[in-house]
Amino acid sequence: MKDWASLTTVEEMEAATNALLENGRKVGADSWQQRVKNQTPHCGFGEAGTCCRICSMGPCRITPKAPRGICGCDVHGIVARNYLRFTAGGAATHSDHGRAIMHTLYAAKEGGNYQVKDPEKLIRIAKEWGIETEGKDIYDLAHEMAETGLMEYGKPFGTQRFLKRAPEHTQQLWHDAEIEPRAIDREVSQSLHMTHMGCSSLPEALIRQSLRAGLSDGWGGSMMGTEFSDVLFGTPKPVDTTANLGVMEKDNVNIVVHGHDPSLSEMIVYYANDPEMIAYAKSMGAKGITISGVCCTSNEVAMRHGIPMAGNYLNQENVVLTGACEAIVVDVQCIFPALGPLSKCFHTKFITTSPIARMPDSEFIRFSEDTAGENAKAIVKLAIENFKNRKPELVNIPNLKQNARVGYSVEAIKKVLDGVANSQVDTFGTTKPLVECVHSGVIRGAVAMVGCNNPKVRPDSAHIGLMKKMLENDIIVIASGCAAQAAAKAGLMDPVNAKEYCGAGLKRVCELAGIPPVLHMGSCVDISRMMILASDIAKDWGINISQVPVVGCAPEWMSEKAVSIGNYVVATGIETFLGVDPYSKGSDEVTALLQGDHGIKDWVEAKFVVETDIEKLGDKMIACIEAKRAALGI
Amino acid sequence: MTLFDRVFGGSDYNYERTVAAIDKAIATYGEAEAVSFPDTAYSLPCYYGVTGEKITNLGEMKAAMATIKGMMTRNPRLQDAFDSGIASALCAEFLEALKYIHGATPYTEPELGHLSDAFVRNLGVPLVTGDIPGVAVIIGGAEDPAETVALAKSYQAQGILVTLTGDSIKHCFDAGMKLGENVRVVPLGYEMQSVIHVVSVAIRAALIFGNVTPGDFKSLAKYTMDRVKAFVNAYKPLSDEIVSYGAGAICLGFPVISNETENMFRVPKSLIQQLDTSKWNATSLEARDIKLKITNIDIPVAFATAFEGEIIRRGDMQVEVDGSRVDCFELVHTCDAAEVEDHKIEVVGPEIDEIPVGSKISLSYTVKVAGKAMQPDFESVMERKFHSYLNCIEGVMHTGQRDMIRIRISKADFEAGFKFRHIGEVLYAKIKSEFDAVVDKCEVTIVVDAEKNKELRAHANEVFAKRDDRLKSMTDESVPVYYTCIMCQAFSPSHVCIVTPERLGLCGAVSWLDAKATNELDPTGPCQVVPKDRCIDENLGRYEDVDEAVNKYSHGALEHVTLYSLFQDPMTSCGCFECICGVEPCSMGVVITCREHAGMTPLGMTFSEMASMTGGGVQTPGFMGHGKQFISSKKFLKAEGGLGRIVWMPKELKDQVRERLDASALELYGVENFTDMIADETICTDDPEQLLEYLSSVGHPVLSMEPFDM
Repeated sequence: MKDWASLTTVEEMEAATNALLENGRKVGADSWQQRVKNQTPHCGFGEAGTCCRICSMGPCRITPKAPRGICGCDVHGIVARNYLRFTAGGAATHSDHGRAIMHTLYAAKEGGNYQVKDPEKLIRIAKEWGIETEGKDIYDLAHEMAETGLMEYGKPFGTQRFLKRAPEHTQQLWHDAEIEPRAIDREVSQSLHMTHMGCSSLPEALIRQSLRAGLSDGWGGSMMGTEFSDVLFGTPKPVDTTANLGVMEKDNVNIVVHGHDPSLSEMIVYYANDPEMIAYAKSMGAKGITISGVCCTSNEVAMRHGIPMAGNYLNQENVVLTGACEAIVVDVQCIFPALGPLSKCFHTKFITTSPIARMPDSEFIRFSEDTAGENAKAIVKLAIENFKNRKPELVNIPNLKQNARVGYSVEAIKKVLDGVANSQVDTFGTTKPLVECVHSGVIRGAVAMVGCNNPKVRPDSAHIGLMKKMLENDIIVIASGCAAQAAAKAGLMDPVNAKEYCGAGLKRVCELAGIPPVLHMGSCVDISRMMILASDIAKDWGINISQVPVVGCAPEWMSEKAVSIGNYVVATGIETFLGVDPYSKGSDEVTALLQGDHGIKDWVEAKFVVETDIEKLGDKMIACIEAKRAALGI
Repeated sequence: MTLFDRVFGGSDYNYERTVAAIDKAIATYGEAEAVSFPDTAYSLPCYYGVTGEKITNLGEMKAAMATIKGMMTRNPRLQDAFDSGIASALCAEFLEALKYIHGATPYTEPELGHLSDAFVRNLGVPLVTGDIPGVAVIIGGAEDPAETVALAKSYQAQGILVTLTGDSIKHCFDAGMKLGENVRVVPLGYEMQSVIHVVSVAIRAALIFGNVTPGDFKSLAKYTMDRVKAFVNAYKPLSDEIVSYGAGAICLGFPVISNETENMFRVPKSLIQQLDTSKWNATSLEARDIKLKITNIDIPVAFATAFEGEIIRRGDMQVEVDGSRVDCFELVHTCDAAEVEDHKIEVVGPEIDEIPVGSKISLSYTVKVAGKAMQPDFESVMERKFHSYLNCIEGVMHTGQRDMIRIRISKADFEAGFKFRHIGEVLYAKIKSEFDAVVDKCEVTIVVDAEKNKELRAHANEVFAKRDDRLKSMTDESVPVYYTCIMCQAFSPSHVCIVTPERLGLCGAVSWLDAKATNELDPTGPCQVVPKDRCIDENLGRYEDVDEAVNKYSHGALEHVTLYSLFQDPMTSCGCFECICGVEPCSMGVVITCREHAGMTPLGMTFSEMASMTGGGVQTPGFMGHGKQFISSKKFLKAEGGLGRIVWMPKELKDQVRERLDASALELYGVENFTDMIADETICTDDPEQLLEYLSSVGHPVLSMEPFDM
C-alpha cells in the first residue's frame, strides 16, 4: 500500500481545530461547530426544496396531503423555481465580482494604483473581440475593453462574446437548446422574473433557464473576472507557497485576507512588502509582516504572489482563534458574519471594505479604486498598531504547514506541456501532450475538483479522500476554490512529495513535467479557466467536450455560486458529481431532469450525479471516466 | 486495441515461450544444470536487480517464472503495463541465458550477445564526464539500409554509445562499418530479445555505481531514469513483443522513438512518433534531455569520443609517427603572453602529402600556452589529455606519452584531406575549450624534421626530468592540502575520493595535480580543497579535515575515511576503479586484480566478483578499489605494513607497475626485484596452497609480517 506519511491528515487538522476551539472557550467565543448543533435538525422542507415563500399567500409546504401550493403550483414547479433562484443568486454574485474587476480595469492608469500587468493578454482578448489594437495606447485599449466588457452585462441584443471560445459543437448544442446566455444581468433578471409568482412552473423551462443563467456566469461574468484579473494583476504561473494554519508566524504581524475580489488584497500585499511598513512593524515589536489568506482571495494572491494559504472556508474562524491575527481583512462573499463577534473575543480587527459586504461588529474602511493605495496602507498600519494588543497567553498557532506549487492558469499549463513536447515533432502552445497522455491511457482522465466546505461533510475529508483516490487511479486533478486549498493543506500540491501518492502513470507525468498531481487553477471564478481548458482539449483532440474523459466534482459545496457553477459546467458538457444535494430531491421530475439520462443530458450531453456516500461518489467518477474511454475505444 | 493491451499481449507471448524453452532445457539437461552469463558477478543481472534473487540453475529459473507471472497483472493502468514490460524483459533475459547453457558460445561476429561486467565498469568514467553523453538502443532497421547506417554513425560521431538489435546489425555490418566495444557501436543480436543485453548493462550500472540494493526496484528505476541517459530508436514494424520491451524501457526512464503508426500511441517524452527518421537523432536527444559538449573543430574528418578506441591497422596506415625508433615527443610549454600568438598553427618541414605512404617519420608538437592563471604544474595535466584528444579524431590512433609516442594516420584520413596541421587545430581547440580558465593564448608548432627533433627532444627531456624531480619530491607530507574528487557523484551519489600526491583517484584518471588544476579551473566544481591541518593518526592517514570533507560531500553517508588503511574505514569507491585489492587470509597478504583480467584469483573470485563486494560508495573493510599507480606508492596499505603485503597480481599488471614497484620495495624493505616475488596466474589461479608454497619458495616479505589486525 501507499505510504501517505507526508500528508497532513484530516484527523491532524481536526486536532488542531479542537485545540483552537479550546482557545475560544477561554474567551467565550462562539463557533460554527456549535451553531451547526444549534441548527440541527434542519428543516426537511427546505432541504427537499419543497417550501415556497415567493409570495405572501404562503409559505406553502408540499406534503402528500397538500400536494400543491395555494396558487396550485405542484412540487416540481416549486423545486425547479427554488433551484433557478439559487442559481441566479450565484450567477449574480460571480458576475458582479467580474463587473467590479471591469471597473477596476477602467480605473487603471499608467503609474496608478492599478496598472495593466499583462498587456499581451489584453491585446489577445481585444483581437478576439474584434477591437482594434494597432497603435493604441495600452490604457486607452484597457478602458475601451472595460467598457465593452461592461456592456456584456446589459447589452440589449446578442449573446456573450466568450461563447465563441467553445468548440463549435458545444455552441451548436447551446443554440439548439436555447440556452446561449444573452446579457448577464438579463439572465439574472429573467430568472427572477420567471420565478415570480404566477410565471413559470414548468420544470423543463426553469431548468433550461438555470443552465442559461449558469452559462452567463461561467462564460460571461466569471470568465471576465478571471481574464481581466489576469490583465490587471498578471496571469498566474507556477509559484511555490505554503498552506495550512502554520503559515501564520508567531513573531510577525499577521494580516489575513479573506473573500474573493483580488483588487483589495493586491494592494494589501503591496504595502505589506513596503520597507516603510516593515520598519514600522519592527518598531512595534514584531519581526515582520505576514500576509496569509483564507478562501478565494487567498487563492488569488497565492496564484500570483505565492502568498501562503492559511486555510479554506471553514477555517475562517480558526485564523482568529489562533490569537495571533492582528487583522482579518475581507472583501466580498463567503465571509461569516460570525467573525464580528468572534474578533471581539480577541484583539483581532475585523475590517470590512466593500459596500456589498457590510457586517456588524466590523471596522468599515471603504475601499475604492481611486483611493486603493491609501486604504490598503491604512489597513496595514492598523494591523501593525494592533500587534501590541495581543494576549500572549491566547496565542496558539497549530504547527501544520505543507509546501504547495500553485499558479496553473491555462497559459501556465500549456507552458508546462510545452516543456514535455518535442520540438522535432510537436507544435507548441497546445494541450496535445496532455491529450496524448490521456489517449494512451498513461493518465486515465481528469477531474475538476471545486467547491466549498460544508458542515454536512466532515470538512476537507471528501476533497482529500477523493483526490487521493483519483491520484491512485492515474486521474489528474485540477482544483480551484476551497477544494484547491484542501489539497494544498493536505500536501497534495507538494511539488516533490505528492507524486509519490499517484499511480505509475500520473507519477511519471508529474516527474517529467515537474508538476504536482493536483493543479491549482485558482479561485472559484477561475473555474472559467477550466472551461477554456476543456474546450482547448476537445479542439486539440478533435472530439466533443462530453467525450473527453473528464468530470467535474464538488463534494463539499455549499453556496449559491456553486450551483451556478454546476449548471455551467454541466451545460459545457462535463458530467458533474455532487456530494451535497442541491435542494432538489423533493421533486422526482426535477431530479430526473438534472440527473436522469434524458433530462438536460439530451440537451448538453452531460448531467449531474448526486451521491452523498463519498466513497461511492469516487467510484462513480472513475466509472464515468472509464466509460468515456471505452466509448472512444481507448 | 489499447496500448496497454499490446504490452500485455507481448508479455504473454514472451512468458509462454520462455516457459516452453525452460521445460525443453530441463528435459535435456535436468533442473540442476547451471545457468549463467559469462563474465558477470550478477547472475542473472536483470532478474537479480529487479527481484534481489540470484538464479544459478534451471530449476531456480523455472521457479522464477511464478514470480514473473505474478508481475503480469492486467488492470488498465500504467503500473500494470510497466510490470508486464519488465516481466517481458526478464523472460527475454532467461531466453538469452538459455542460449549459453552447457558452455555454449551462441554469438559469433558481428553479434556480441551478453556484455561483461568489465564493459559496464569501463563505461563509468566516460558516462560521468559526458564523454559518452548517452546510449542509443537501435532496434530493427530502416527500409533503406543506408539510413540505419547513417543513424548509427550520427550517434557515434556524437560519442553516444550505440547498441544494435535485429536488422540494424546487418545493415551496419554489410556497409563495412567497424563494430565493437572499442568504437562504441555494439551489435547485440539479430533476435529482438537480445536487446536485454543493454538493459542488463543499465541495471548493472545501478548495482555497481549506484549501490542500489538488488530487489529495490524503485531505487533501481530511479537510478536508470535519472542517471543512465539511454533511449530507444525502434524501426517499424513493432510487434507486441517489442512494444512490451518498450514498456519496460519506458519504466526504466528510456524514451522510445519510432516511426510506427499502426496501432500505436503517443506519450510525451516517452513514446514519440517521429515519421521522419532522419530526425531521430535530434528527436531522441531532446526527448532524453541529452546535451552534447559542442566541439566544433575545423578538420576534414569526424571528431568524437566514440573514436577513442579505434585501431588503425598497418595496412590502413598512411604514415606512422614512431617514437620508439625516431625522435618524437609532445610537450606543453608555459610562456609569457607576449611569446605566444593565439591560434598560430605552424608546421615546420613537409606536410603529409609530401611524404610517401607507409613512412615512419619523426614528428613533434609543442603547445605553447600563456595565461594569467596558468601554472607550470598544469603542463603535465594538459599533456596527458593529448592521448585522448588525438584518439578522438576519426582515423587517427595515438598511444604513449612524452617522447614515447606513436601516432598512426589512416589512408582514409589522408584521402579526406587530413593534414598534420589539423593535429594542431585539434590540440588548439581542445586546450582552449577545456582549460579556458587558465589558458588565454595557445600556439602549436609541429616539427616534421628528424634533425631538428633530435635537438628539440633533448630539450624536452630536460623539461620532463625537471617535472619528474618535482613529482618525486611531491609527497603527501610535502603538499599543503589534498583535494576531493566527486566527479563520479553523477553516477555514484555517495562516493568521495580524497586525492593526495601519493594516492591518485581510484579511477586512475585524477592525480593530485589534476585535482588541483580542476579546482583552479572550476572553483565550485568536483575538486575541492581539503586542508590537512588536523591529523589524528599519521600512520592510518586519519585527519579530522578529511572526515569532515567526506561527511560533507557524501551528504552524510560517510563519517570516517583513512587514507592508508585497508581495514580501518578504507576509502570508498564509485565502481569505476582500475584495480581492486582484497585480503588473502592464508598468507595474510592481499590479492590485486584489474579490470582487464577476466580470470580467477586465489580468493576464488574474479575481478567482477570482487568488485561487486564494494563500489557505490560503501566501505567494505578488507576490500578496496584503487588506481594502478597507487600500487607502487609508499602509502599503499601503509597502515598494514605497505606494499609488501601484495602476494598476487595478474601478470600483465605486474609488468605495468614493475619498475616503480621494485623501486619502492627496495626503499621500504631493501628487497630487490620484489615484483617477481608476487605470484600471478602462471603460478597459481585459485589455490591458496600453491600460492603459499610459492611465497615461501621466493622468501616473500609478507611471511615475516605481523598478521592483519582484522
